[in-house]
Amino acid sequence: MEQIRHEQINETLYYEKLPNGLDVYVLPKHGFSKTYATFTTKYGSIDNHFQVPGKEEVKVPDGIAHFLEHKMFEQESGDVFNEFANYGASANAFTSFDRTAYLFTSTGHVKENLTTLINFVQDPYFTEENVEKEKGIIGQEIKMYDDNADWRVYFGLIENMYQHHPVKIDIAGTVESISKITKDMLYTCYETFYHPSNMLLFVVGAVNPEEIFQLVRENQAAKNYEQQPEIKRFFEEEPTGVAKAQSVREMSVAMPKVMFGYKEKRIDISGDALLQKELTTQLLLDILLGPSSDLYQSLYEQQLINDTFGTDYSGEVQYGFSVIGGDTPDPEQLVQRVVDGLEQAKEKGIRTDAFELAKKKKIGAFLRSLNSIEFIANSFTKYKFNDTDLFEIVPTLEKITIEDVNVRLKEHIQKEQLSVSIIRPL
Amino acid sequence: MNELKFEDFKVNQLNVHIMRTDKFKTTTMVIQLEQDLKEETVTPTALIPFILKRGCSKYPTTQELRQYLDSLFGSVFGADVIKKGEKQIIQLQLEIANEKYLSDPTPLLQKGIEFLGEVMTKPLVEDNGFSSNYVKSEVEILKNKISSLIDDKIRYASQRVTEEMCKNEPYRLLAYGRAEELAHIDPVHLYTYYQQLLNENPIDIYVVGDVEPKEITDGISRFFSFTRNKVKDLPFNPVQKTEIKENLVIDQMKVGQGKLNIGLRTHMTLIDNDYENLLVYNGILGGFPHSKLFVNVREKASLAYYAVSRLESHKGILMMMSGIETDKFDQAVEIMKKQLQLMRDGEISEIELSQTKASLRNQLLETNDNARTMIDFAYNSEITGKKRALEEILSQIEAVTKEDVVRIAEKVEIDTIYFLRDEEEK
Repeated sequence: MEQIRHEQINETLYYEKLPNGLDVYVLPKHGFSKTYATFTTKYGSIDNHFQVPGKEEVKVPDGIAHFLEHKMFEQESGDVFNEFANYGASANAFTSFDRTAYLFTSTGHVKENLTTLINFVQDPYFTEENVEKEKGIIGQEIKMYDDNADWRVYFGLIENMYQHHPVKIDIAGTVESISKITKDMLYTCYETFYHPSNMLLFVVGAVNPEEIFQLVRENQAAKNYEQQPEIKRFFEEEPTGVAKAQSVREMSVAMPKVMFGYKEKRIDISGDALLQKELTTQLLLDILLGPSSDLYQSLYEQQLINDTFGTDYSGEVQYGFSVIGGDTPDPEQLVQRVVDGLEQAKEKGIRTDAFELAKKKKIGAFLRSLNSIEFIANSFTKYKFNDTDLFEIVPTLEKITIEDVNVRLKEHIQKEQLSVSIIRPL
Repeated sequence: MNELKFEDFKVNQLNVHIMRTDKFKTTTMVIQLEQDLKEETVTPTALIPFILKRGCSKYPTTQELRQYLDSLFGSVFGADVIKKGEKQIIQLQLEIANEKYLSDPTPLLQKGIEFLGEVMTKPLVEDNGFSSNYVKSEVEILKNKISSLIDDKIRYASQRVTEEMCKNEPYRLLAYGRAEELAHIDPVHLYTYYQQLLNENPIDIYVVGDVEPKEITDGISRFFSFTRNKVKDLPFNPVQKTEIKENLVIDQMKVGQGKLNIGLRTHMTLIDNDYENLLVYNGILGGFPHSKLFVNVREKASLAYYAVSRLESHKGILMMMSGIETDKFDQAVEIMKKQLQLMRDGEISEIELSQTKASLRNQLLETNDNARTMIDFAYNSEITGKKRALEEILSQIEAVTKEDVVRIAEKVEIDTIYFLRDEEEK
């Protein structure tokens, strides 16, 4: 058990890699009554074409990672929710582009709940019948998202940006694509991606690290996992340019919605460089378009934006893009004003005072987020899967200079990489 | 230090509640200004927080105000209006970093108290009214906020069924007020009305963090100096409709998924002795993944992704909700009604009862790990006038029997069945 001390924020993280390859992290959180645990596989909606060395190359239907997540909760003995409910724990799961996480929160019986979590995720039970039954449920989940204008405008942007990369595929798939899913396909995906060496367990809250490690060590030692060679994941080559500069869709909403952003040209970096790129881009967007910026205030005054307006940046190893937007009476004018503002900023550069304020603000935001044990576990896992470290955020931020932001501004904001997704009222 | 209790103080007829705890890395402050929810005042009350958020005499422009917050390590400041039963509450809140965890040790807390004091007691005033500019612009923004309720079909369906159920009760009103009244708002009248609220309405200030109470009360008496008359007593007395007849309402809109909401009257609120019995009733019916609605509507019939019941205990309304195919309306209503009947018939297993108690216990204990939820819980005692300790509710829940739950089931009755469906003709 390795101990990693973060003095400034007064937190200690404990880590151990088990013989079967599972990474286990424990963060005791002083004063908390609750414990939160996530058991996450590095497997998400984008992993639809893969091969385990020595086995066949496989292509699977869209939405299968998410389908698998649903089906894991069914055990031969019944619904696993019941086991958690016996101890009052609240269990859930989510699937994103690149990971699937199973989780619970509880204020007691942590050992029992943690055992349930690990055991159910390591014990699949799929039958033709229970797979068919799930199609109706997930079909309604898909339809719920289809009616959700905020999700549609966001996803429309990603669809516009990417030509081939599976990040453009809706995480839950479509009613049509999931109709093709069979029990055998689920087992293939399960056996490929749910090997402990592809997974990370994070436990945070009212816990004693040594007790948790002992439980997990014993639990894993009792199960037979053969060593698995590294999984090969195939992705079609993605051209640099966007697939579509603009899309418009009509839905029953009160006011138009727009999301737009820039598709990253330079990808394939990971580790500290990726973290630095993400933080620098977020600073940049906050300085130029955050509520304290000249542009935000002027757009708000003219009622081109309201408090739904915001910015975001996703920087992953394989893809990266910024997202800007919200509700607006005039999407075209808003996009034009923001693009012009960003182009002008490229000429003039960032102001030193704005840069210093944005940095302070981001350090404060990080500290605030440490109040949430859910945030700690989810973000730590996300960063770890990219070979970066959540707790490197403040040291990395402190190193970023105004020159870095100016360089990044010129690199990321490039007109030909822009794409726009609009929803108009019917 | 970590005994989680609010200490109560009185400063200038303001109720101040302070919890000292070192489990968070920030300090959270929430000011709650209480008003009765009623037709005549709902719209002006709703508008006030959004005007206060724009600027004050010390930071007259929104940009100056935002930049000042950024300089306090990105303190998060929010102003909003909410509804709890038939109360409308203006909330001002600030979350500020504890400098203990920053490399810069400059104290921040007093600056935070000063900031909230400035915003609340010294707004930007011109010609004896609020800034006409801010009023004009926030009227438009609030209008849009009200009309954009339709963007989120789940929330829209909840509001529609509430309006139908409570046609003659204040609870039908949105916390954001009525769009048609916004056009008539006058900056001078609004400012006079705000002065009246400050003078005589109950105001509670909550602070949670690693703080010295004396420092807080001194700060409040220094920065919150304004005229306070005799504080009005606003009794907790939500209208209770007694004659209930089942009503069916169908709205049509361009949607893919139908939203079914069934509104029920429980004839009791959180101050009743039956409150814990009601919590257990709702938990067994639809509060959790082990509950009757989830198991029967989703797992057994595959009709829906979500099928839940939610309690609004300040008013005494219970809502069953699900997203389904339009042609499954009859089947879903039948299954839901059947669950109500099973509750009345006492078809409740020991396991359902014990799992629900354990889950409720967990849910309540979890509120202690978040400053906002602790404040929210404590404030319920303040507005209802009935103090309830968490431990007391927990032990009452433990004591609930099946017979208690059946007694609740016999009182609960359907008021309105609401369905938001597609535009195809029936």
